[in-house]
Amino acid sequence: MSKSAPESTSEAIFDPRVLPDYGWYESGQSALSGSLLELYRRIDNMFLKWASECQAAEFFFPTFISARELAKLDYFRSFPHLVTFPASLDAADDNLKRFTEGTPLDQEGCVHLTALDPVRNVLTPAACYHFYILFQGQALAEPRYVTTRATCFRRETHYLPLQRQWNFSMREIVCIGNSDEVKAFLGRYTEKVQAFFERIHLPVNWVNATDPFFNPSKNPKFLAQRLDPVKTEMVFRTGLAIGSVNFHRNYFGEAFQIQRQEQEAFSGCVAFGIERWIFAFLNEFGPDQKQWPDLNTF
Amino acid sequence: MKTESEIRQTLREWIVRTSGKIRAEELDDDTPIIERRIISSLQLTDLILMLERLSDSPIDIEMLKPGVFRDINTIYRNFFEPARA
Repeated sequence: MSKSAPESTSEAIFDPRVLPDYGWYESGQSALSGSLLELYRRIDNMFLKWASECQAAEFFFPTFISARELAKLDYFRSFPHLVTFPASLDAADDNLKRFTEGTPLDQEGCVHLTALDPVRNVLTPAACYHFYILFQGQALAEPRYVTTRATCFRRETHYLPLQRQWNFSMREIVCIGNSDEVKAFLGRYTEKVQAFFERIHLPVNWVNATDPFFNPSKNPKFLAQRLDPVKTEMVFRTGLAIGSVNFHRNYFGEAFQIQRQEQEAFSGCVAFGIERWIFAFLNEFGPDQKQWPDLNTF
Repeated sequence: MKTESEIRQTLREWIVRTSGKIRAEELDDDTPIIERRIISSLQLTDLILMLERLSDSPIDIEMLKPGVFRDINTIYRNFFEPARA
């Protein structure tokens, strides 16, 4: 779930904008086609295959998450700098008239909004949140293993092609169970991912990290994460985190009243930022797809 | 000057009272109080203030290493053992 590792500028970085199969939008978004789109699919298919090893059920979720649900995680106080809201105009005739008769778009490309409808949703900031909302109030008779890929939205101060985007693809494999079940799940996948890095010779280090809290020194959650690390990032040699392993303890179980064996459920996830994996592949193996590892064998 | 067992008992009573999630007989000196969220992140700040009072010495939050509040054993070792002074 984290995108907190800083990018290093000390090494030569491959710029995907030189590739015909790549398109970059200054708003922090990427377009892929041809070999890059194929790579995107192969990487995600590999993650799906990994997910199937714990019989994880796959879900497809919508783009919006209820703000009311997200507030149960204190999200708006912890991450106000990242959040992106879907906004729409108040549908009252006079409001729409004011909008159309004003200057809907100025020369800078800025939309001049009139009154807005109340905002009750948020664009998905992390893929796994959907699961805790989905399983809210349930008592789990057995651990649940689930997976989803979501387009996630995080507003940043600056954007870099494939490395730091306003929206990006996140694949997560999640376990909700008791503490031992979740720890075993995270341990198994940490080993699996590490073995993969070694086999394809992708230089990745595992580094303890914290979530990118707003005003961290004032946030006790940041202090708690620093003193009891629950997030380990897969940091590519350039300093870019391409994924993470996260132990949430019973944080989501408590917030959403999910029970396992009559106690608040524990949860953990393995998260992969797919565009960042493409970035790592391009930097390590070059733009020629014949040089890329054959992911079908993993 | 409190003895080791008095300090451990004070820690145990404070954790049980503050948490509200665990009974005294369920809390051992090696029960992981952060991992099991017996002490929440919000209560962590109170724990630090309590330790400052109990040890009669200030705690520099920036210098704290991961794991120092894992359980009562770890807290005692890090903040009260004579070697620390």
